[in-house]
Amino acid sequence: MGTADLALPSRPERTFSPGTLARIYGEFVRVGFVNTIAYRLRYYTGIVTYFIYVSVYYFIWKAIYAHSASIEGFDFSHLLTYVAVGWIMRSFYYNNIDQDIANQVLEGKLAMDLIKPVNPQAMYIAQALGESVFRLVMLTAPTAVVLLLVYPVRRPASGWHLVAFLVSAVLSFFLVAAINFAVGTFAIRLKSILGLLRAKYFLLELFSGLLIPISFFPHVFQVALAFMPFQYISYIPVLLYLGKISGLGILRALGLQLFWVTAMIALGHGLWTWSSRKITIQGG
Amino acid sequence: MKRHLRLFALYFAQYAKVRLAYKADFIIAFLSSMAATVLGFGFVLVLFTKIPKLQDWSFYEILFLYGFSLIPLGFFNVVSWNLYQFGDLYIIQGRFDRILLRPVNTLFQVLFEKFRLESLQEVVTGTFVVAVAASKLHVPWPVSNYFWFILMVASGALIYLAVFLMLTAVSFWFEDRVGIVPPVFNMLTFGRYPLTIYNVFIQFMLSWIIPFGFASFYPTTHFLGRTSFNTYFYLVPVVATSFFMLALFVWGRGVGNYSSTGS
Repeated sequence: MGTADLALPSRPERTFSPGTLARIYGEFVRVGFVNTIAYRLRYYTGIVTYFIYVSVYYFIWKAIYAHSASIEGFDFSHLLTYVAVGWIMRSFYYNNIDQDIANQVLEGKLAMDLIKPVNPQAMYIAQALGESVFRLVMLTAPTAVVLLLVYPVRRPASGWHLVAFLVSAVLSFFLVAAINFAVGTFAIRLKSILGLLRAKYFLLELFSGLLIPISFFPHVFQVALAFMPFQYISYIPVLLYLGKISGLGILRALGLQLFWVTAMIALGHGLWTWSSRKITIQGG
Repeated sequence: MKRHLRLFALYFAQYAKVRLAYKADFIIAFLSSMAATVLGFGFVLVLFTKIPKLQDWSFYEILFLYGFSLIPLGFFNVVSWNLYQFGDLYIIQGRFDRILLRPVNTLFQVLFEKFRLESLQEVVTGTFVVAVAASKLHVPWPVSNYFWFILMVASGALIYLAVFLMLTAVSFWFEDRVGIVPPVFNMLTFGRYPLTIYNVFIQFMLSWIIPFGFASFYPTTHFLGRTSFNTYFYLVPVVATSFFMLALFVWGRGVGNYSSTGS
């Protein structure tokens, strides 16, 4: 796994200098990247898969916009761009931390995570980051090229909007990773969480705004979703790209996104502490 | 045939016992799986708060189509688990040797060794949605429709099985390192909306190459009284049978080509 390369102290201590920390978690990023290379061929069909995702919604929206010029301030080209950029982003931020934890639990390997003198949450997120860097090169970039060639996707509203979008996309990665980690901790207490993970998968697709902009939801839902982190995964970043958020609104959007990343990391940390205490009791 | 039916009952009962040994676990899996399916309708529900029709399809007609597509898919998903894992478990790990030693059809054994019981919720959810949509639409429902409905569900399940069986049989010749199943699986989404919204190329593909259109769209047109697709409707069982025969042939050739990992 490459973890053997780490110079582990003979007696695990939990305080490291910032430089050592960066080296350790940097190593996990590398491991995540390298592990993914084994599946590199799968990313070719991944491009096809993402192309199919976008195509289905392209045809649905095309049929809809044949009868109306604008819905909730989106004309067809905005909406097509919304869909395409949303899926392109997803090809980057997507990860399976929750499923990885579930597998570790099922295979009884979770103890290995607990005895490492590192923060398990940071370790899982670092590995996922390595995987996402790989996806960025092997999946996101080619998918973006194909989609831009086939469909009339709009350019970003301005240079500043592009910068804000890119920052936001990175924050999306951390938001999804933090949420997935928090969900994954439930695997420790429940026996099988595959059904739960499937439900979470569809929940995120819908409430992140990936399938349909949040402004299309009934008002009650919009109010409720404003108090949840999901729309910061896809809806807000893509609005930045489209230039539907401007000026100080950009800083406010990024600030709120950062807030939710922090909140979800804190939640995941709390859940892990709570769940791993339970293991100790059971393991006697 | 009778022997196989008995064996199927035994296989099913045996696996059901295994799953129901952990009742709470099974109930959680069933309910969360159902929640996932219901969330899948979210897009259509939200969309129709903004638009009256998708092409000339009303909200309840789309619900009918979407709901119907889940029923054959649910039945297929109950056995599909074994197909997805076939390359890893049976070919690479060599479990297929054991299958060959038994005096029972190989495909029968592979399909029925494990059941994804919770996928039956898709059948339940789909039927419920179809029933609600049909009553809202006041579609005429002669008694003969029950016969057609069951035949269409069976044909649809057979089409899904045939397509994924052919993809699975590929692992008899070479290890699928590229992963051709996920893109095809994602094409199922196309079948949840009227085929007429797509361009000619996709319509052709979904009819004659990967015939998911015959598993959801064409059956639905008949029940909703869209008579222009009648020919396709009556072709559904024919297409299902033909593709399944083709899949069986490919599978048979694959079995003949199988050589053990030899450990």
